[in-house]
Amino acid sequence: MKKILITVLFSLCTIIIISPISAYALDGNEILEQVDGNLNPESYEMYRKLINIEPDGTKKEFVMFSVKKGKEKIASVFLSPASEKGRSTLRIGENMWLYIPNVGKPLRITSLQSVTGGVFNNSDIMKVDYSAEYNCDKIEKTDKGYTLYLKAKLNSVAYENVTMFIDSEKLLPYKIECYAASGMLIKNLYFKNIKDFGDGVVRPSVIETDSPLYKGYKSYIVFAKVKNRELADEIFSLNYMSKIDGLR
Amino acid sequence: MRHTCIIITICLILLLINGVSFSQGTDNRSNNDLDIDLDLDFSIEEVEKKPYSINADIELQETIRFLDSDALLFKQKYLDTKKDDTFWQTDIDFTIEGQYQWEKISLYGRFNSLIYYNKEVDWESERKAEEVYITFQPSVSLAVDAGKKVHKWGKGYAFSPVAFFARPKDIDDPDATLEGYTSLSVDYIKSTEGIIQTFAITPVLIPVTRHINDELGLENEIIWGGKLYLFTFDTDIDLIFSVSDNLNNRIGMDFSKNLNPSFEIHGEAALVQDHTQYIIDEYGNTNEEKNTAFNLLLGLRYLSDMETTYILEYFHNGEGYTGKEYESYLKFIETGYKQYLNTTSKTAIFKSKKYAAWYNQQAAMKDYIYLKISQKDSFNILYLTPSITFIYNINDQSASITPGITYSPVTNLTLDLKAGFLFGKSNTEYNEKINKAKVVVSIRYYF
Repeated sequence: MKKILITVLFSLCTIIIISPISAYALDGNEILEQVDGNLNPESYEMYRKLINIEPDGTKKEFVMFSVKKGKEKIASVFLSPASEKGRSTLRIGENMWLYIPNVGKPLRITSLQSVTGGVFNNSDIMKVDYSAEYNCDKIEKTDKGYTLYLKAKLNSVAYENVTMFIDSEKLLPYKIECYAASGMLIKNLYFKNIKDFGDGVVRPSVIETDSPLYKGYKSYIVFAKVKNRELADEIFSLNYMSKIDGLR
Repeated sequence: MRHTCIIITICLILLLINGVSFSQGTDNRSNNDLDIDLDLDFSIEEVEKKPYSINADIELQETIRFLDSDALLFKQKYLDTKKDDTFWQTDIDFTIEGQYQWEKISLYGRFNSLIYYNKEVDWESERKAEEVYITFQPSVSLAVDAGKKVHKWGKGYAFSPVAFFARPKDIDDPDATLEGYTSLSVDYIKSTEGIIQTFAITPVLIPVTRHINDELGLENEIIWGGKLYLFTFDTDIDLIFSVSDNLNNRIGMDFSKNLNPSFEIHGEAALVQDHTQYIIDEYGNTNEEKNTAFNLLLGLRYLSDMETTYILEYFHNGEGYTGKEYESYLKFIETGYKQYLNTTSKTAIFKSKKYAAWYNQQAAMKDYIYLKISQKDSFNILYLTPSITFIYNINDQSASITPGITYSPVTNLTLDLKAGFLFGKSNTEYNEKINKAKVVVSIRYYF
C-alpha cells in the first residue's frame, strides 16, 4: 500500500513538474511567433536609416527602402549616400543577393558580410522572422517578461544561439544577445523607442547594436514609415532588383 | 625594373596578410570607451519621394605606364619612333545619371564625359550616352524597355561567356560601367509555389543599321535572342540564346549557388556556331578557320571567417588562340620589325596590325585562371580594402599581378591605388605587351 501511495505521489509530482515545462516549451515558440508578428506585419514596406559610429565619433549613414513579405522574403534599395544609391539587396530564405547598378547583375552574398560595413551584417539588415530561423529551446519568466533561449534551425543561420529578452506587456524584445556556436558573444541588439506607426503597427523604432568584437563601434537602425502593404511575390526575384525603387 | 616590381608585389602581399591578421577583431579592436555625446539625426528625408532623381560622380585619375621597348607589341605600335620609357595620362571622368518616373513610365539616362591629357595627343575629350531608355511597366510582373541599355548577363566576375548582348568587360576592372546597345526587351517574371519558385523570360531584339549598333555587323540586320531565368533548389539558372542572319548564333547557360553561406560556386558555358578565327603565322600567311567554339567558365567565391574574400575563376576561351598560334603571330611581328630596321619597309608590320584586333585583345588565348583576394576593413581601419589580382595564362605561363588598395575615408569619396605588373618568358602574351607595369591612382567623388 505504502509503495503504491509513494508511486502515485511520485507520478503526480512528475506530472505537475513536467506539464508547465511542456506548456512553456510550446509557449516559447508561440511567444516567438507573436513577437515576430508584433515586429513585422505580414507584408509591409518601411524606410530605415542605418548609422555606423566609429570610436572617434565619425559617422556614416545609409538610408534604405525595404519591402518584406511573409517570414523569409525581404528586398531593399539604398537611397543614400550617393555612392550607394541604387544598390539593392534581396533575401529569400538563406539566399542573399546584392545588385550594384555599375556591375549590372546580382551577385550572391553571405549573411555574415556587411554591405554597409559597421557592426550590422547582412543578416541583421535583411532580417527575416526569428521563428523562421530559430526554435525556442527554453523559456524563463523574469520580472520584465520572458527570456527565450533560441537555437538556429540550420547551420547557415548567422548566429547559432540567440537569447531574447521580451517585455511581456508589449510582447516585444528589448534586448537580444547573439552567440556563435562556440558560445562567444558576437553582438547585442537593443530595441528602443517604441512608436505607433499607425495601422496597428506598434514596434521599436530604434535598434542599437554593439559588439565585443568591435569595441568602441556602435551602429543604429532607425525605422520610419512602417506601413502594411500588399506585395506580389514577383518583387522578390533577381529580375526585379533593379526596379525596387519604383515601388516607393 | 622587374626586381623592383617583385619587391613591391611582395610588400603589398605582406600588407594584405597583415591586414588579414589585424582584422581578426577582439583584442585588436579599439578599446576606446569614450563616452561620446551622440547627436544622431533620426529624420529620414528620403521618405518623401520625388518623381525624378539625379546622381553624378567625378573621377580624377593619373595613369603611369612603364613602357617596355623590347616588347613586340611596343615595336608593332611604335616601331623605333618612341624614345620615352614612361607614359603619363591624366583623366577627368564625369558621369551623370538621371531618372524620371511618371506613373507606369520611366525614363533613364546615363551620360559620360571624359577629358584626358597625354603628351601624344595633348588634351582630348570623349562623350557618350552609355544608357538611355524608356521603361513601360504595366505591372510588377511585366516591363518593356526600349532604347540604349546594357544587358549584363552571366554569373562570372572577370569573364562572361554568356554576355551575348553586352560589350566585352575590361578584366582589369570588371565592375566598370559599360555602354549599352540600342535594343527592345521585355522582362516577364512569375513566382510559383512549385519546385521552380521563380521564372523570368527576357526576350531581346537588337537592330543593326548604318547608324545604330553598326559595330555589331552588317546593316539591316536584326539580332534577337533572350534569357530564361529559373530559381529552383536555391540555385539561379539561366538559359540564353542569340540568333541572327549574319552573325554567329550562340546558345549558353549559367548557374550560381551557395554550397554554404560562405561558399558560392558559379559557372557559364556557351557554344558559338560558325566562329571564324583569323590566323596569321610567323611568315605572314593568313588563314580563316571556321568552327563551333565552346566557351566555359567555372568559378567560386569564398568568404573566410576573417572576412577575406577569394574569387577564383577558370576561363576556357574556345574563340581564343593556342600557345603556338599566338607565338607565331609574335614571331611575325618580330620578323616585320627586323625588316623595317633593315629596309625601312613597314609592310609586314602593317599586315600584323590588321590582325591586332583579334590577337591584341584581352584574354586572346585559350585558358586563363583569375584570382582576386580582398580584405575588408584592414588594419583596423573601416572602409580600407587592400586586394590583389592574379591573371594567369595557362597556355604560355605568363601572368599579370595587380595589387591595389581602395579607401573611403568619408562618405561619397573613394581613393584607389593600383599597380599592375606583367610576367612571362619571351614570346608570351603578358611579356610582350606594351607596358611592363602600370600604376593608376584615382579619386572619385559621388554627389
